[in-house]
Amino acid sequence: MVTGGTLLTQLLNGLSVGMVYVLLAAGLSIIFGVMDVINFAHGEFYALGAYLAVGIAAALSGVTGGFWIALVAAPLIVGVIGGLTERVTIRPLYGRNPLYHILLTFGLVLVIADGIEIIWGTQPKNFAPPALLSGPITIAGFQYSLYNYFVIAVGALIAAGTWLALTETRVGIIIRGGSQDRGMVRALGIDIDRYYTLVFAFGCVLAAFAGIVLGAKQEVALGMGNAIIIPAFVVVVLGGLGSFRGAVVGGLGIGIVQTLTQTYVPALTGVIVYLLMVGILLVKPQGLFGNPEWQNHGGEEGDLLTGGGGGILDTTTRRYLAAALVGVLALVPLGIGVTYSSYIPNSLVLNVLVWALFALSLDFVMGYAGLVSLGHVLFYGVGAYATVMMAMYVTPVFWVGLLAGVALALAVAWFVGYLSIRVSGVYFAMITLGFAQLAYNLVTKFDITGGSDGLYTGYDATYGLGIGEVGQVSLLGDIQLFYYVVLALVVGSYLVARQIMRAPFGSVLQAIRESEDRAEFLGYDTVEYKRRAFMVSGGLAGLAGGLATINSFGVGPSFLFWLKSGEVIVMTLLGGMGTLYGPMLGAGAFLGLKEILLTFGESTPGLLGEVLSQWQGILGLIFVVFVIYVPEGLVSLPETLQARFGAGGGGGGESATDATDAEVSD
Amino acid sequence: MRTDGGTERRASRRRVDRRDVLKAAGVAGVAGLSGCLSDIGGGGGGDTLTYGLLNPISGSYSSLGPFQRHGAELAISQLNESDDFEYEIEIARGDTETGASTATQAASQLVEQDGANYIMGAISSSVALALNSFALENEVIYNPGAAAIPITGASCNEYVFRSETNTAQIAEGAAVWTLENLGSDVWFHIADYAYGQSVLREWRSRMEASDAEFNEIGVSRAELGAQNYESYISEIQNSDADVLVVGSTGGDFVRFGNQAASAGLGDDIDIMNTTASFQSLRAGLGTAGYGIYSGVRYNASLTTGWNEQFVDAYTSEYPDDGAPGNFARVGYDSVRMTAMGIQEAGTTDPTEVKDALAGLETNSVLGDNMYRECDQQAMNPVWVGQNVEPDEGEVADVELIEKFSGEDAIPSCESTECSL
Repeated sequence: MVTGGTLLTQLLNGLSVGMVYVLLAAGLSIIFGVMDVINFAHGEFYALGAYLAVGIAAALSGVTGGFWIALVAAPLIVGVIGGLTERVTIRPLYGRNPLYHILLTFGLVLVIADGIEIIWGTQPKNFAPPALLSGPITIAGFQYSLYNYFVIAVGALIAAGTWLALTETRVGIIIRGGSQDRGMVRALGIDIDRYYTLVFAFGCVLAAFAGIVLGAKQEVALGMGNAIIIPAFVVVVLGGLGSFRGAVVGGLGIGIVQTLTQTYVPALTGVIVYLLMVGILLVKPQGLFGNPEWQNHGGEEGDLLTGGGGGILDTTTRRYLAAALVGVLALVPLGIGVTYSSYIPNSLVLNVLVWALFALSLDFVMGYAGLVSLGHVLFYGVGAYATVMMAMYVTPVFWVGLLAGVALALAVAWFVGYLSIRVSGVYFAMITLGFAQLAYNLVTKFDITGGSDGLYTGYDATYGLGIGEVGQVSLLGDIQLFYYVVLALVVGSYLVARQIMRAPFGSVLQAIRESEDRAEFLGYDTVEYKRRAFMVSGGLAGLAGGLATINSFGVGPSFLFWLKSGEVIVMTLLGGMGTLYGPMLGAGAFLGLKEILLTFGESTPGLLGEVLSQWQGILGLIFVVFVIYVPEGLVSLPETLQARFGAGGGGGGESATDATDAEVSD
Repeated sequence: MRTDGGTERRASRRRVDRRDVLKAAGVAGVAGLSGCLSDIGGGGGGDTLTYGLLNPISGSYSSLGPFQRHGAELAISQLNESDDFEYEIEIARGDTETGASTATQAASQLVEQDGANYIMGAISSSVALALNSFALENEVIYNPGAAAIPITGASCNEYVFRSETNTAQIAEGAAVWTLENLGSDVWFHIADYAYGQSVLREWRSRMEASDAEFNEIGVSRAELGAQNYESYISEIQNSDADVLVVGSTGGDFVRFGNQAASAGLGDDIDIMNTTASFQSLRAGLGTAGYGIYSGVRYNASLTTGWNEQFVDAYTSEYPDDGAPGNFARVGYDSVRMTAMGIQEAGTTDPTEVKDALAGLETNSVLGDNMYRECDQQAMNPVWVGQNVEPDEGEVADVELIEKFSGEDAIPSCESTECSL
């Protein structure tokens, strides 16, 4: 029953959450508007603010007003850290495609999150609001949490202050001008670039402030940044990237919608925001208040940098190398019991192969069609779920499950592609993220998908791998047939993908990546080509997901977790996108490095061991370096090095120059 | 139907494989290949076995995993020092990252590379269920640290021995007590995932079956990991409930509890939670935790079984951890109880130890205990307690109110969906 009091309470609840979203989204949105940076690390700055405040409040324990000092000091410190981060890492990327900022800030997420863990440990921190603000208060017979009144009031104050600063001060006007049309501001003789650090630092201050305010109400724990960043993106996308007004309306709107859904339509909890996000992006891609010129960056947008075609190795050498690599992989199981245990081929290498296939699938659209999918885990997860469910509910034969996985992934990719490919760039990235999150939330809701526990009992991925009833085939000792099945499927997928890329279809895709307009003028239906590529990619990712279930004994929601999408992007870029084989090498490098760091971390005592065990942070750091200095990936490393240190001349030097040209072309 | 036949066939096939390889590979130079070398003549007098400790060191349960590991490590070092235990235990460590895929890969590494034939670990039920399957497939004994019912219920198997108290045991003890002592008008609030759903199911069914008066006033479900609970809290406040049973744990309950305190929920309604006595939850809640009732799986102040020597040894070995909590207790009991099975079997071969261990009367931190034969669930006693304001500091103390013996708290064999 809805009474006036209940509704008012729920509206206030919604406003207090929404206010925190506003603070987060305002920072995100201004940063994007002015600098074209989609800042994935925003959630980590939010967490950093909360942790710093806990530290400051603890250091000042006994001092009255410790909370208030922390509330002011912590955001300022985070602002300084944010400013430095912008100077050191983001500055070198201006002029590049904004998608590189997503990639870079994703690396920063890993670094900052692990930094927080090293400094503050894994235990959650209790950070209570001051006694002055705790407990409920009764106003005119209406009882409500005093702290929430405080959150709403202080949030509104800061939002209003930000708005005044943006509209009434000279700096604000320049920033707003810059977010509408950077070129115009420059033409007026203003060096907009100088304001970037300020804007970024200010965004971080707002995020940190939000972290403290919310941390005192909820808890300060690892993962709080991860938990908030996706909803914050939803808010920004809904309101319109780059629009302050959008951030305010979007933030309050999402806060209220979430709260009311929990109360009145509980079945939609968790999915409503993603439904809204996908819906709005489809109907009005620029969001509610976004800049109508939403896909036009005045020609400033740089290209995606793909790995060098030739490099310093000629085609024949590379072909021999590839054949040798496959040969080595085929021989790996023979070492079982001689130089290593069956873990190496049957688990480690198998996992690398699966991720190599997943990275290959992403490269197919990202490296060739220029579509950056932030939700590629959707197809991987759908493939895995369909494979397991087919085997559990219909027929235990693994082949059938695998086929079902690929088929369903293809279908989902067709559907998502059909709806989303009309938008491009950052908006496409966001819409795919929305779909993936939707799927992640949906599988936990149904019994047939195993709910939050997943399906881990009574599934045998190796059943029927042999012919008929043979089941799991041991070729010799622990050398398993499924290893060769996976190897063959992965190599086969690569060959198919390469063949497609060599066919006219592939040439058109690459033409689209280079310039969609030109491809369109030549008479190609670019949207249709992109959709088909997206389907192929989804199918390959589905195959990877199905194969991944061999070693995991089933499937669970973690197969659809968004960080996996991030990891596969990291692998693709690390290896070198646009080469098909580069991302596969990237997967090997990523997972190999993880294994090495963990092994060393385990055997190294003391602080160094602890630092090495933070493999995600170290990989994040390497990734940041790669995005900045080696954007064409590992495969281009030889030629980049040659261009830098070599005697110059030769084919390698030339193509490296090409790549540099691409950065500033258009 | 198929599942049973399939696993049977798989297990026997795998057994042949592993033994064959060991023989074929010869013994020298492959000591790391498998831990069961001693059974085929590689060991001689000083038999060793390897315990793989596979705990969530990163990921969402990273704040709890280290305690579980410390408890198990303490048990192993005590066993190695003891003259009564004839075997030497080596430790291999892995991180589940609180994810099933990573966990099974890490488990492969422990078993195939480090030669572990015993595994203890995991807190997330999803991860533990995956490791259940892994243990059966690889014929290693596994002690899960998760509380979900299916682990020793519908998904049980002969290699899984659980020292953790499961959700049904807590419900068996605390549900009716709640009706009789806190009130008959009950609101359920759960985190809407496997754990919360099982709390709702188990508590509701026991309340319905009891003689005490029971009115279900309402149910609210928040998504797992939800940040904001105020809409539910307002709803509960506006209802006629006397008592609120909350089926959530970890950060979900800390956030819920903090927001409930801020809204003044506990002033009008008694709050009963399934895990609020956990050290991490009490620490996360601070003063907001005072007054909350809780099902209690373990408390360091107990005088049962091995507890006093466990607490002394633990606090001197891991002074930074404070008094041991339930996760440390589970790590410790899992290894100690399993070791008694190894002793009983007279071999380290898990395929024989599993038969000796099922139904074996052992001691434990919680007093006399056993992994009962029908589902290999430890028969832990449970308590109802309340978090109370401490004499010093801010983190609440747990005051035990009533104890339910192991026999009383464990559901009957017929009601579990496990047939061993």
